[in-house]
Amino acid sequence: MRRTFIKSLLAATVLSMSVAGTAKAELSGSVNYIIPFGPGGESDISARFQQPFFKEKFGQDMVISYQPGGGGAVGWASLNGLNGDGQTIMGVNLPHIVIKPAQKDVGFTTEGLNSFHWFHFTPDAIVVNASSPYQTLQDLIDDAKKNPGAVTLSGSGKASANHLAQIKFDKMAGIKTTYVPFKGTGAAVTALLGNQVKAEWGYTTVGAKQGDAVRMLAVAMEERHPLFPDVPTFKELGFDMVGGAYRGIALPNTASEETTELWSSMIAEINQDPAFRQQMLDGGFAMLDVGTDEVDEFMKARTEQYLADARAAGLIK
Amino acid sequence: MDFGSFLSALTPLNLLFALFGVAAGTIIGSIPGLTATMAVAVLVPITFSMQPASALILLGAIYTGAIYGGAYAAILLNTPGTPSAIATTFDGYPMAKRGDGDLAVALACFASVFGGLVGAFALLFLAPPLSKVALAFGPVEYFWLSIFGLSLIASLSNGNLAKGLAGGAFGLILSTVGVAEVSADIRLTFGSQTMIGGFGVVGALIGLYCIPVLIDLVAVPDRHLKVEQGVQSVKIKPAFLIALNSKFNLLRSSVIGTLVGILPGAGGSVAGLVAYSEAKRTAKPHQKFGEGEPDGLIATESANNATVGGGFIPTLVLGIPGTPPDAVILGALLVQGVRTGPALFQSGGGSIAYTFIYGLIIATVLMLPVGLIIGRYAYKSIVSIPKAVLVPTVAFMTIIGTFAIRNSVSDVVIMILLGVFGWVVGRFGFAASPIVLGLILGPIAEQGFVQTWIIGSAIGDLPGMFFGRPISQAIVAFTVLSILYPIFAARKHKRAESNSEQVS
Amino acid sequence: MNSQPVNTKPNVMGSLCVSLLFVLVGAVTLFDTLSYSDVDSKVFPRAAAILLILASVVSIVLTLLKPVADEGFGSGAWWRRALLISAMLIACLLMPKLGFVTSSAVAFLGALLAAMHDQWTARTAFVYIVSGFIVVGGFYALFQFGLNVPLP
Repeated sequence: MRRTFIKSLLAATVLSMSVAGTAKAELSGSVNYIIPFGPGGESDISARFQQPFFKEKFGQDMVISYQPGGGGAVGWASLNGLNGDGQTIMGVNLPHIVIKPAQKDVGFTTEGLNSFHWFHFTPDAIVVNASSPYQTLQDLIDDAKKNPGAVTLSGSGKASANHLAQIKFDKMAGIKTTYVPFKGTGAAVTALLGNQVKAEWGYTTVGAKQGDAVRMLAVAMEERHPLFPDVPTFKELGFDMVGGAYRGIALPNTASEETTELWSSMIAEINQDPAFRQQMLDGGFAMLDVGTDEVDEFMKARTEQYLADARAAGLIK
Repeated sequence: MDFGSFLSALTPLNLLFALFGVAAGTIIGSIPGLTATMAVAVLVPITFSMQPASALILLGAIYTGAIYGGAYAAILLNTPGTPSAIATTFDGYPMAKRGDGDLAVALACFASVFGGLVGAFALLFLAPPLSKVALAFGPVEYFWLSIFGLSLIASLSNGNLAKGLAGGAFGLILSTVGVAEVSADIRLTFGSQTMIGGFGVVGALIGLYCIPVLIDLVAVPDRHLKVEQGVQSVKIKPAFLIALNSKFNLLRSSVIGTLVGILPGAGGSVAGLVAYSEAKRTAKPHQKFGEGEPDGLIATESANNATVGGGFIPTLVLGIPGTPPDAVILGALLVQGVRTGPALFQSGGGSIAYTFIYGLIIATVLMLPVGLIIGRYAYKSIVSIPKAVLVPTVAFMTIIGTFAIRNSVSDVVIMILLGVFGWVVGRFGFAASPIVLGLILGPIAEQGFVQTWIIGSAIGDLPGMFFGRPISQAIVAFTVLSILYPIFAARKHKRAESNSEQVS
Repeated sequence: MNSQPVNTKPNVMGSLCVSLLFVLVGAVTLFDTLSYSDVDSKVFPRAAAILLILASVVSIVLTLLKPVADEGFGSGAWWRRALLISAMLIACLLMPKLGFVTSSAVAFLGALLAAMHDQWTARTAFVYIVSGFIVVGGFYALFQFGLNVPLP
């Protein structure tokens, strides 16, 4: 929390400077916010949270549209062909935009996307049904050691944040579990609630949404999530796992520097709004504020980490 | 029940929202390419400045109207306006072709209102227990459900099973094109970026159903639909009598629609197909499904509107959206600060949920007059517009509708080429419907199969996983029945006929 | 279905060609699956491809054994069909360059010419073209402003 607070302070300073310096770029009407997935996922929910704050603060409508296809690839491959005047933005997701182009030619590259601001992440978490015999993470590990491969965990997609987390954790704990890929977090949670699988590799958002129906065994954060003071972090339990799926925003690469700065400052301003923060935290999200000044460094570190993980997992060559 | 919520749903403003929502939804749904998801998504920001209950009523009304509106294009143009109306084309278009389009439109309205009410009342009274259905369906049940849906190919292939199966398998292959949903491979794109997103269902539907109709329309000077002289209004009374006569079919299809709607992985198109399949299985010998049988239309239209109420059950009780429009509405709810969960349905905290459900019921009832009036205009304009204007208008609608799905011109080109392909193979006995069935059910079948296989291998009991669970056994039994029953019935019918010949 | 004379051999070339094409599609699919790295993505397309090939082969055998005449392309003007489809495709190609309204007008006009079976008169020409503008303009407004779909 402390770290994010310092970051937010930094961002707020940058914001006030950039607002003063770039009076040129401004919005000229409603903004099209493209989500490269279908509705109902975390990307959609967080965009819906931003929507009213954007209207309130900047006076323009934010129109959310969905362009699903290819696990986001269709949208991202089309991004740089769109108008870079700042009226069109698109959601971007980590690790998707790193792993997908590393696996196959999907029509875009990680570096080619002008992803200028990362505003939150959903920390990885192991979730079990409330009726599950696993009370603690250790219970799950013990069961997996006794019956290698028989512990099934659902998750969203393959080569995704969930899948990477599963492979990484299996290595750390020295266990073998079975990962069952589903189409999106919603389907993975449904399988968990219906006891089709023994646990789920999900996010803290699952715990926030499902409440008493599920129990989280551990979360991949530096410190405990304020919404779940009783759920330990992996670090406390001796596993060095911090991360999850990061969400940010990108502009077409033809956008000017002023436009990019303007957008980064607007996203940061929404991120600073206490009401918005509360809504996000209640939803189980974890806040983040990586603006234009830090984004290159951030992307470099994350890209290296994800590629190393994926290579170790055998997902890419 | 909670009468305070009922009264607050009845405020003039909320009634107005419901009326507007149903009318707007019906019109949007009738345009191929404009889906309920899109209509709801566009209107979400407007609802932020409204009372949560009014916002929900508006969104629910649009949704239910759009599902009904999909029937117009299905009946009058052989093109499902929304994917939910696929099975409506099977009997709706033949009815319109032989001159019963007005009857079909009215019948669809009655069936939709009835189905919508059954779904909404299930949501009102049985939501928490029924939400268990969503959880009882695991990967293997979805797999068998999709196989059950595919078994319809047997009856859709116009007496040539080999060609129907080939079409179905071709559709299954089409469904795998692009980035695989639950694995990381890119399939059958041959290096092309255009195909990475695969064949969109809505675009493929427009291509495979609508383009062949257009190609046939321009070639000959005949009228589009047969019109009986003098009849210019929608046949309300005969339609009502037919619907009344098929009350059992109505009820069964609505229950099927509600149950399928509860399943998060299925949706209106699957509900319509399952209900159609059941109606056909239990048909009387004189009923000719696929050639304009009103019971086929009744089955699909009541089932797909029942999915609206059914889909809200997991959405509101479990926080798991039953259908894509539900997902958008769920997002709007979260922003409004409404927490989903069983608590929504307990007295006290549940007033918003109940106001919404009453609003949905009111909207569904309003759909009766609104639907009949709009249906009458839709029918009149389709039969009275000269062909030279009708064809370009519909052609233009297919282009803009397909474009709007993903803002992609290449999607439009794919749609047109797929349509030409569908027209050519259709001319040689490979009907479009098996291909569409394969395309829609393919992903459900594939994901269910792969997940079942993974879980079954993990617990070391593959046969038990595939055949051991009671619900899947029941679905397998129904599949076998619906494949074998028509053969059995035909034989029985023949025997009965030869007997009666001997008597006379 | 067509009224083919009974004594001549029914024309089944179309059915055979389409079935052969489907066999080919199945073979290509099988070949494509060889390049997949994940076994989970192979099973289903292979099963579908094998089903496609089997069903198409059965269809070929049945067509040869018990020929049923194809419906064929039927009567009707080929130039009208071709004009309709090419007008729609040309509109798609023009859309990124000329914008939405102009290219839609091309598609509308092409389809209008293709579907016009009556005698052209000054009145019909005027009415049809005006209605075309209304349809294109109306939908353009609905999508651009009502539904916020950015049109080129």
